[in-house]
Amino acid sequence: MKDQRLETRVDTQTIKIEARKAQVYYGTNHAIKDVDVDILDKTVTAFIGPSGCGKSTFLRCLNRMNDTIPSCRVEGRITLEGEDIYDPRVDPVQLRARIGMVFQKPNPFPKSIYDNVAYGPKIHGLTRNKAELDEVVESCLRKAALWNEVKDRLAAPGTGLSGGQQQRLCIARAIATSPEVLLMDEPCSALDPIATAQVEELIDELRSQFSVVIVTHSMQQAARVSQRTAFFHLGNLVEFGETGQIFTNPRDPRTESYISGRIG
Amino acid sequence: MSLGPLTLIILALGLAGYLIGRRRAIAQVAGDIRKLHSLPPFYGRITALLTVVPALFLIAAWLLAEPAFIETKALSLIAAEDIPAGKSAALVMADVRRVADGVARLQDSGIEIAPLLASPSALKTALNGAAIVLETEPTVSTLAAAAALRDALASSRFALSIVALLLAALGLGFALSRITPEYRARNATERFAMWLLVASSLVAVLTTVGIVGSLLFETIHFFQIYPAADFFFSTEWNPQFRGGSSLGLWPLVWGTLYVSAIALVVAVPIGLMSAIYLAEYASRTTRSWVKPAIEILAGIPTIVYGLFALITVGPLLRDYFAAPLGLGNSSSSVMTAGLVMGIMVIPFVSSLSDDIINAVPQSLRDGSLGIGATPSETIRQVVIPAALPGIVGAVLLAASRAIGETMIVVMGAGAAAKLSLNPFEAMTTVTVKIVSQLTGDTEFASPETLVAFALGLTLFTLTLALNILALIIVRKYREQYE
Repeated sequence: MKDQRLETRVDTQTIKIEARKAQVYYGTNHAIKDVDVDILDKTVTAFIGPSGCGKSTFLRCLNRMNDTIPSCRVEGRITLEGEDIYDPRVDPVQLRARIGMVFQKPNPFPKSIYDNVAYGPKIHGLTRNKAELDEVVESCLRKAALWNEVKDRLAAPGTGLSGGQQQRLCIARAIATSPEVLLMDEPCSALDPIATAQVEELIDELRSQFSVVIVTHSMQQAARVSQRTAFFHLGNLVEFGETGQIFTNPRDPRTESYISGRIG
Repeated sequence: MSLGPLTLIILALGLAGYLIGRRRAIAQVAGDIRKLHSLPPFYGRITALLTVVPALFLIAAWLLAEPAFIETKALSLIAAEDIPAGKSAALVMADVRRVADGVARLQDSGIEIAPLLASPSALKTALNGAAIVLETEPTVSTLAAAAALRDALASSRFALSIVALLLAALGLGFALSRITPEYRARNATERFAMWLLVASSLVAVLTTVGIVGSLLFETIHFFQIYPAADFFFSTEWNPQFRGGSSLGLWPLVWGTLYVSAIALVVAVPIGLMSAIYLAEYASRTTRSWVKPAIEILAGIPTIVYGLFALITVGPLLRDYFAAPLGLGNSSSSVMTAGLVMGIMVIPFVSSLSDDIINAVPQSLRDGSLGIGATPSETIRQVVIPAALPGIVGAVLLAASRAIGETMIVVMGAGAAAKLSLNPFEAMTTVTVKIVSQLTGDTEFASPETLVAFALGLTLFTLTLALNILALIIVRKYREQYE
């Protein structure tokens, strides 16, 4: 895995998701305060910060997964390509097809490997026939670097794969709906170092087609895979900038303490 | 010695064993209990257990085996000509037992029994006075057998007391002789506890074996006096009191399956859908009162359901469906019983399925919703497949419940055994016929009565097959989640 810390350069790219004064409440608990973030297209953005700082909560706001939690309330403005995603006219189901998500624990469905990947295209009607669906499944599994390992047993249950394979299957499943943004909530925290390396490599490749947002506990991982990094602390966005700058020359003393291991 | 005092004495010995064992352990290390392997109470406990448990087991085993031994002895005393034609030896033995019992009771109430034994008619009057009714005057051989029975019982109990007390004393001595500071009393107590648990689970298993055994025994009897081919392959059920009955199995099995199938067609969709609503859509407060409300259905006695079927559902179906459609005008019908039974088993399906659906990990739902699936797509394609083994289990539990149901069928579907496809016709089930055959006036050794056991065994096989099927389905589709 190459260390991209110093060579990373962010090209001037279009803004995909824009958050302004985003607030999240769980009941009376104010979990996210005044967060302003721009997620650029074809870029990996990392959210780092100590446990409970709200980075996962904020990630789940970006595709309205927080809607499934009854006590959760989101305020402020979050837009996808200029369109407010919390507008009542927006269908969260359609939104989630455009903004895919990969979770902390691999969660393959109790179906075959093939059906796991074909799930999204099928429910959204993205393919016209079986041959096209086969093509989509194969290309997604290839993109997820899993094709060679599973091509002979596509009918085997997805739950029978190893942890790392399961997580790559979940990534294949998430990109099968061709989302514009891929949200990843600590995708490597349940994986061993080898599987982690594979997934990180994969994230770097995915960047050519998607905008990727990754929440991670590992600062090394953030440094390795991301071009831009946001540091969250106690529900506030403390610092947001190019990864190289955040790790080598943080502007906020809290960022520096966290990176050097004094808080968190 | 009678059993009560005997047990008390053994328990007292056990208590003494506890105290002596503990004191002995302490005495062996001169009061410094740190030198003992286990704490002193463990030594007491193992001593008490070794004293009490073997002796109590002996008493239980003895009481189980005793009747067989002493009754064969008494039976051998009855002259063959004293057994009336058409009566079995078992009936005569029942008389013998009653006489033996009655004489003991008369003796207890202080009546001189020697003159009574000399005159059978006086004895009969006296026994009647003691609330023991005999059909006929006891014959000489009955009296002799009764006397032998009483003697055998008394000597058996005497022997039991001696042997049990001896065993308790032996256990006490053995346990005390083993107490040394190195003796691992704590571990020994642990092993004892394990065997106690093993014994408890054996009781359940052995009961099942016993039930099947008794069914099997009487079924074999039945097939000795009634041709098995007729039972299994005849399609006519027509028992006669005077013999010459046709006892074909199929009308009853058909009725059972038909009623149960209707019940499941009602219960499975309703139960499953209410389970999905409760688990996936209902708020916590709604769930907290809807779920118990559904479960109340399971608590209603089946006779009440039967009344509901008889006076409400039956006439309703007849007047609005069966009669206008020209399908018959009987108010008891398969449909009536099936519908009401379906309502009865809804909670079995819904309550269990609800728990199972709740146990499906949230991460699977998140995964599906995160791709942009709607909640109902998620439920259909992810949650239900994941919960399938448990749901199958719930459905089969409901099915066995429906197959075994009797009261609703009697009141809702009638008692006429028929092979018909018309759901508005009266039919009946295996369980109903078991009851009516066993409670009929025919004598026990006739095929008309014994057929009940063959039916019982058939029913048992049916539910067993269902359970095996369920196991296979569950194994096949089981998914492991952490």
